[in-house]
Amino acid sequence: MNDTTFNRARDLPTAHLLGAGTAMCAGCGGLGAVREVYDVLGEDTVFVNAAGCMTMLSVYPFTPFRGSWLYTAMASAPAGAQGVRDALDIRLAKGEISKDEDLQVVVLTGDGSAYGMGLSATSAAIDRGLDFIYLCYDNEGYGNTGQQTSAGSPHGARTATDPASSAVAGYKKDLFSIWAANKPTYVATVVASEPLDLARKIEEARALEGPRMIIALAPCPTGWGFEPSQSAEIGRLAVKTGIWPLKKWQNGKLVHTRVPHPRLPVEDYLKTQRRFAHLFEPRRDEVQLAEIQASVDDYWREIEEAKSSSRGD
Amino acid sequence: MYRIRFHGRGGQGMKTASRILGTALFRGGFQVQDAPRYGAERRGAPMFAFVRAAREPILERGIITNPDLVLVADDSLVGIPAAGVMAGLRTDTVLAIASDTDADTWRHRLHINNPVVILPGIDTDDDDTHIPDTSAQCAGAAAALIGKVSRVVLTEAVTEETSGFGALALEANLETALAAFDAIGLQTGSVVEGAAYDVASSVRPDWVDLSAEASAVAAPNIYAALTSVQVRTGLWRTLRPLLERDKCKRCHWVCGSYCPDGVIAVDDAGYPEIDYEHCKGCMICVAQCPAHALVAVAEEEYRTAKGDGA
Repeated sequence: MNDTTFNRARDLPTAHLLGAGTAMCAGCGGLGAVREVYDVLGEDTVFVNAAGCMTMLSVYPFTPFRGSWLYTAMASAPAGAQGVRDALDIRLAKGEISKDEDLQVVVLTGDGSAYGMGLSATSAAIDRGLDFIYLCYDNEGYGNTGQQTSAGSPHGARTATDPASSAVAGYKKDLFSIWAANKPTYVATVVASEPLDLARKIEEARALEGPRMIIALAPCPTGWGFEPSQSAEIGRLAVKTGIWPLKKWQNGKLVHTRVPHPRLPVEDYLKTQRRFAHLFEPRRDEVQLAEIQASVDDYWREIEEAKSSSRGD
Repeated sequence: MYRIRFHGRGGQGMKTASRILGTALFRGGFQVQDAPRYGAERRGAPMFAFVRAAREPILERGIITNPDLVLVADDSLVGIPAAGVMAGLRTDTVLAIASDTDADTWRHRLHINNPVVILPGIDTDDDDTHIPDTSAQCAGAAAALIGKVSRVVLTEAVTEETSGFGALALEANLETALAAFDAIGLQTGSVVEGAAYDVASSVRPDWVDLSAEASAVAAPNIYAALTSVQVRTGLWRTLRPLLERDKCKRCHWVCGSYCPDGVIAVDDAGYPEIDYEHCKGCMICVAQCPAHALVAVAEEEYRTAKGDGA
């Protein structure tokens, strides 16, 4: 990380590329991530958007972008990105555009698509070595339609389709590991409330070629049930409690870019959101809370053990 | 047929209010439609929900343009034409507003003689960035104003519609709904049931006519960049972040980096410049500023103070 232009917070961009006036909710953690990513990638970026909340970014005749935006069905954004990349490559080969005019192709997708119906097309794009950046804003549910359960919804959360009495019985899919097993060029997790970590990772991804996969946790005031003003604080708590590990994978090597010390109890994060309120009211659900804490503890213990064994202790 | 419209902002619970009232009327023997009207989920943006209830099958569809009862959860919406609070009011339509302002003042402001009912504003003492959920209050008040639903049936409807939010939320909703129901007192049953829709006498609704926009808006250049700035999302705001300049440490990055909408830039001197045309009022900057140099002020208070020359 010695060659980064983002050494400290003051190096973050103070003027922003994404236009204001979008229809995203006040306090949207997904929009925050998209805005920060765009600031680092720069103007020469074309977005290919799978249907989701960010559908509302660019609704005719309004666009917050400085360049083009292509809208696709939920499952087919990587196919759209392939078409755009191919068109650029053909025009480059024919000399119709110069290398300076080339564009970075970026897929923008929610977790409903990324973790579910879009996963097959994404896996195929990684297989083909498609030169693109894939950005998933993960608000852990189908937020645009009222927060129904997705494959990214966490265990124990209340959603529109899993009421408090039962809550989400399944477990959040480990999309990071699925992607890494598929061996793309780069995989990373980010969150808008850690702008420096995000900027460095996007800067790294920008300099590479091939499939570069990013998941941004997207705190969602509307879907998760918290005041918009708490959006950044909740993102930070997700990192401090260890439930959202910030990490990157490259050339077979996994690196955690923020290891929380000390790691806060996961309920510090859970109790900030109404989707978890039934774990605390009318009485604490000790069994569920312990289970969620144990899953976080297990994750970090495995990371520690893997580190020790690779050191040969 | 009763036609009821609930106006609020995304997050204030108007969709839930319409569901509670719809379920209560259904349990009370009515045939019912209830539906929210908004685009994609957007917290803080004006939206409305409506309920139709009749003893006979309901053949009407679409939004209600001739309401018997209009409830407003957020009185700042009354002055926003796009929110359509006053659309289609008859002279006997009951207007119920959650407000600190009294009924006579509202009648005077709006130049109407309609019955106006004031619902007490919900206290948000400990957290000034909180958008209160007024679903139970508005549903309870509406049920009483219509006067066709008992306390028992209202209790069943609140339970059916809000028990999924957890036991404590249900308990609070029941208490709020019943208190709002009882508070209507002498005005119980004051809503006048509207006549059935008559095709022969129907007139074309005025919302079909589009007013002429400036050509840059009506026929925009779709190849242009950053056209979204023409959408003034500053209208969503109920709270305004204000900079107390002497407290600003000119850190250069915190408020601007955490603003999801990118409407805070930093000037050459290192002070934030907030674009109020587009700031949606999420108050993340207020929550994040380590020096507490940004404070949240209610828009209404700010405008009033400005109007007084303060």
